[in-house]
Amino acid sequence: MDTAQKTYVGGPLLEGRKVTKYFGGLAALVDVDFAVYSGEIVGLIGPNGSGKTTLFNCLSRLLPVDGGRIFFKGQDITYKRPYQVARMGLARTFQVIRIYRKMTVLENMLISRQWRGESLISMLKPRHPETEERAWELLEFLQLAHLAHEYAGHLSGGQRRLLEIGMALMPDPDILLLDEATSGINPTLIELIKDRIRQLNREQGKTFLLIEHNINFIADLCERVFVLHFGQKLAEGTPQEIMENEAVIEAYFGA
Amino acid sequence: MSAERTMPFVRRWGGLVAWLGVVALLALFPLTRPTNSTLFAASQIFVLITLASNWNLIGGMTGYVDFGHAVFFGIGAYTMGVLVTRAPIIFTPELSFWEALPFTGVTAAIFAVLIGLPTLRLKGPYFSIAMLGTFVAMREIIRILRPITGGGEGLDLPPVLNRIQDYYFSLVLMGLVVAVMWWIRRSEFGHSLIAIREDETGAEMRGINTTLHKITAFVMAAFFTGLVGGFWAWQNTYIDPDVVFIESRNVEMVMMSMLGGLGTVWGPPLGAVILYVLKDLVWGRLLELHLLALGVLLILLVLFMPEGILGTLGNKGGTSLARLWGRGKEQDEA
Repeated sequence: MDTAQKTYVGGPLLEGRKVTKYFGGLAALVDVDFAVYSGEIVGLIGPNGSGKTTLFNCLSRLLPVDGGRIFFKGQDITYKRPYQVARMGLARTFQVIRIYRKMTVLENMLISRQWRGESLISMLKPRHPETEERAWELLEFLQLAHLAHEYAGHLSGGQRRLLEIGMALMPDPDILLLDEATSGINPTLIELIKDRIRQLNREQGKTFLLIEHNINFIADLCERVFVLHFGQKLAEGTPQEIMENEAVIEAYFGA
Repeated sequence: MSAERTMPFVRRWGGLVAWLGVVALLALFPLTRPTNSTLFAASQIFVLITLASNWNLIGGMTGYVDFGHAVFFGIGAYTMGVLVTRAPIIFTPELSFWEALPFTGVTAAIFAVLIGLPTLRLKGPYFSIAMLGTFVAMREIIRILRPITGGGEGLDLPPVLNRIQDYYFSLVLMGLVVAVMWWIRRSEFGHSLIAIREDETGAEMRGINTTLHKITAFVMAAFFTGLVGGFWAWQNTYIDPDVVFIESRNVEMVMMSMLGGLGTVWGPPLGAVILYVLKDLVWGRLLELHLLALGVLLILLVLFMPEGILGTLGNKGGTSLARLWGRGKEQDEA
């Protein structure tokens, strides 16, 4: 993979230091250290229940952490609220798709938008033309434009994933956290998603952190992979190294 | 196949234009020299529509089903009462109606901020119950604060009978409130409220400051409800805790919205008109059974028309009580 434009200036874009999270007595995450640099596509894999989604929830601030610190763009976001982190440029999708089924595809896109301040006047404006323009551009990019006025609840599973990715892209974030973007999706759409991720990464320098069970998807896209196991970081390396790592094979591929 | 990109003018502005047309026609109605009781009935309907639309902002659009919204009505009514009365209580500024009116809305709005900050953190039925509790508690507080509010004996307001003025006041307030709701429904603010109603976590994660949006909607709904309460107290010329803080007013606000279609712009006004007609025609003849009829209607509504008249007719913008209270369960646990 072409990594020429990867930039490491100014430290990691998103960094976790000793991130720890308990659910009652269950240790979901224990002292997890990781860093994602600007322009990277990083994979996060691990067996079910290993803490991947919990880590995403902690990073996007939906869950409070019990220990450790999280930094985004050099700022400590450990105690920020989710909307604040979102406005700083962190977008995510969810394992269980969160779209607004009773709204049209276009309306969904318009919910998620670039932040323009919080004055009542600005909020009470009907629709900002530039927001709508961006929504149409992204819908075309994701091949959903012909469904714009369809209710989101009428979309297929794969189209819903694409819509959710589109919503995450609306505010023009710096990093996208995609939680199982390919689960339950047919191979053609997986190729489309893969292609779009690559294009966004190369042309716009977007950074991605992907939770995936689809190893081929990870191997095709990612330069680096983290492996979580029982809430701890088991390994880190290129997809090749990870697939040859014995501990990983034992834990994940179930030797 | 390509989807249409610009909304035609009629779809964009049609609703508002039609509404302003209706209000303009209603403004001409007194020229036909109707009787005082007709004017009074009309202003009652306008008040109901205003209340229903207001309630719908927080209950239908934002998804916080407020079972105690009449508390703001009561606060408005009592603010008016205390400010205009000439009875001997501690605080009697003896203001005129117009001088006192702004205070009714503002007092209700301030109370909405104070009570909204803790209660709007609650979800689903818990919020509803907390607001019902607030409503009941406020009635007792008013009763106990006898030196200021007149306690259980109530307050007598200066009797001024001007049905024409009442008619126009309630008409203008209704026109304004429904137009504001129409505007909100189409604004980014309104889209954000619907997003909060449908999936609060998702809305927050997409950069919407959910707390600020909920409080803003709640305060707006409280402000206008306070104004209506103030107007009602003036029109009624007598208030006491039991006529102001009456539970059925809560139920009516919820019911009018549910009947027309929760979360839609035109549902609550429609529901208000239907409720008034039913009340007048049917329940006028079944005096003792009138609350019973209200209850039966509510049960039938929840069972057979959960999304109200507009929802049943295919309006997709609305919602149902069951969806509001069950919302996000499966998603939050994932």
